[in-house]
Amino acid sequence: MRAAAALAILSLAVGAQRILAAAAPAAPPAGAGGEWRMPAGDDAATRFSRLQQIDAANAPHLRPLWTFSTGVLGGHEGQPLVVDDTMYVVTPWPNVLYAFDLTRPGYPLKWKYRPDVNADAIGESCCDAVNRGAVFADGKIIYNLLDGHTVAVDAATGRRIWKTKIADVADGETTTMAPFVVRDRVLVGASGGEFGIYGWLKALDLHTGRIVWTAHNLGPDAGMLVRPGIFHPPYVSGTELGARSWAHGTWKHGGAPVWGWISYDPKLDLIYYGTGNAGPYDADERAGDDRWTSSVLARRPEDGALVWAYQFTPHDSWDYDATGAMILADLTIAGRRVDALVHFDKNGFAYTLDRATGRVLVAKPFAHVTWATSIDLADGRPVVDPAMQTGVAEGNVKGICPSLEGGVSPSSPAAYSPRTHLFYTSTNNLCMDYAASRVSYLKGTPYIGVTSPYMAGPGGNLGAFIAWNGATGRIAWKDPERYPSWSGALATAGNVVFYGTLDGWFKAVDATSGKLLYRFKVGSGVVGNPIAYRGPDGRQYVAVYAGIGGDWALLAGDTRSDDPTDVRAPADFIKDIASRTSQGGIVWIFGL
Amino acid sequence: MSPVQRSPRNLRLRHAVRLALPGALALVFAGSYGATPPAAAPVAAPPVAAAPVAAPGVRNPAHLAADGMAPPGPSVRNPYHGNTKIAKAGAALFTSMNCDGCHGGDGSGWVGPSLADGRWRYGGSDAAVFRSIFYGRPKGMPAFGGVLGARGVWVLVTYLKSLPAPPDVPTESWRRR
Repeated sequence: MRAAAALAILSLAVGAQRILAAAAPAAPPAGAGGEWRMPAGDDAATRFSRLQQIDAANAPHLRPLWTFSTGVLGGHEGQPLVVDDTMYVVTPWPNVLYAFDLTRPGYPLKWKYRPDVNADAIGESCCDAVNRGAVFADGKIIYNLLDGHTVAVDAATGRRIWKTKIADVADGETTTMAPFVVRDRVLVGASGGEFGIYGWLKALDLHTGRIVWTAHNLGPDAGMLVRPGIFHPPYVSGTELGARSWAHGTWKHGGAPVWGWISYDPKLDLIYYGTGNAGPYDADERAGDDRWTSSVLARRPEDGALVWAYQFTPHDSWDYDATGAMILADLTIAGRRVDALVHFDKNGFAYTLDRATGRVLVAKPFAHVTWATSIDLADGRPVVDPAMQTGVAEGNVKGICPSLEGGVSPSSPAAYSPRTHLFYTSTNNLCMDYAASRVSYLKGTPYIGVTSPYMAGPGGNLGAFIAWNGATGRIAWKDPERYPSWSGALATAGNVVFYGTLDGWFKAVDATSGKLLYRFKVGSGVVGNPIAYRGPDGRQYVAVYAGIGGDWALLAGDTRSDDPTDVRAPADFIKDIASRTSQGGIVWIFGL
Repeated sequence: MSPVQRSPRNLRLRHAVRLALPGALALVFAGSYGATPPAAAPVAAPPVAAAPVAAPGVRNPAHLAADGMAPPGPSVRNPYHGNTKIAKAGAALFTSMNCDGCHGGDGSGWVGPSLADGRWRYGGSDAAVFRSIFYGRPKGMPAFGGVLGARGVWVLVTYLKSLPAPPDVPTESWRRR
């Protein structure tokens, strides 16, 4: 659809990359060191910090050391970066980039970059005008503006180096994800699963911003960069899988957006990312498996070629995006060492895959699930309860769990500790009714077609923070939460795990037991992701955003105070959230 | 996106509407009230999308939500004010144009503000609501004038103004559980 790369240049680049790979040094240790240079801290998306100054013994003595109001009320998803004694913070729309000098008292700004971002993009955003963060590479801070642009800013001066239009707001495409960098490729995707987009991933040149390749996630093989002999999905075969699995060409507005997280295995030279829901929400309008929505795709970063793909939720009928993190971890499963990929899906199952082939090794529910009874490891497909199938013909289907907010929100990425061999993640305990309705595609307008009220799942608590064993598919421990748990997780070598709650508590818990070690009320609900770094003084710090938002269901209690016309009906399932928190973006730094 | 690029978008949209929504539009434009508005109620003609020129000092014309179209002037008057049949047609149009995708079912509010609570960000007179729909508003409300024309927009206005505003309760309180 968009830029096509010259084959000659590509093959040259692939050749050069092979030489590089041959001479590559041993892989760096898992996790982040003193800096936090990319969204998840490392290529494997572990959100693990090797710092261990803060441990279970001293964590009760943590205290807030510094705060900064971003001046923006939208949902503060994502996380800061720390590079070379500078902290970088990106706000939700209007996507201001702040650079704080961590070497001076009070951390004054070195500079502030205020791009001109088209406000039309706010109306094309399904779920608040969020931004999931920046990435550092080659002296540049690179991030997405909501209105379909990627910018690279000089990390030292704040001057813009390049700006590339990657998405079209008029088509319902907005850009909320954090870019990911592999060598000289900047990988970016677009949101728009609620606007009938034709989802894609693009690679830009790190130095110029030029679009090198565009790979669609659905539709014909040519657009998907499916090449004979390279693409080997684990459970299906044949050509044109991304087009033939849709009734009468409905892939054209089928969604499969990319708004989550990317990870990278240097040994296999593969990137991994998840795709979002199929559109519209009325599944009757697009009979078939609807590949590759709600899937994980493995591609070569150099040329974008698709190597394998696995669909978590065929014929998505419940808005089960698979855009959550794909965490790469080396696990021992039944005595065998496996290069694994672990993913907590909105559909309520946690999957452990062989990341070389995409085959499912373990798949068990981590939240309350009613739409399917299990995942069949022989063919990789969920065993769907026919009574939970939705569509206009099915009427109002009741008691579906998880709700379309997911067993976990993909914007709340999990962490993995190689110390405990456990994964840590927020979860939601929500169910829904689902009444699909016919909808017409109108370019740039919502393409949804459902009424889907939520209710609490069993037990009554609306969320929990859990530790998960990816080798056995079992919960190791569980900390119930009053509200849906919506923040990302941070694991550290000090055996302390950090997360925040929707009612505004920032928490440190013991990685082995889940015991609460410390908590502090941070002024607004936490939907961002904590990070750890070593300050110029050699001490360990933990930083996190407060700022509730990101999905409008979370704001249903009329919590916006700057706009007297913003009066929404309170949602029955969470009606008292406004008594405990309110909107407003704040950066927090904690330390001993 | 510039206003220049937006005009073709509107044309495509209009085309899509013809293909996808014959029922809803037939109801609106050829239904119970006829194809033309009552003669006694003149309606501002849909402005022609003249070549848009950025106003002096406006750095990014795409931020202007009016699509470069001339305003209809102070005489804007709703030809269907209080017409319940038209209001009913407007409810159908509200759904078929995917308005509910942002503003919620029955206009009760979602990502877009509620249109049923009696509080109006850009004014609640028929003319002000007309302008919001016809020309769009900053922070994400698209301009639908090019798709619906003035009459279609008045049908929506009539529907929205027919929604009974609940009593304004500025106090929220939470009892201790």
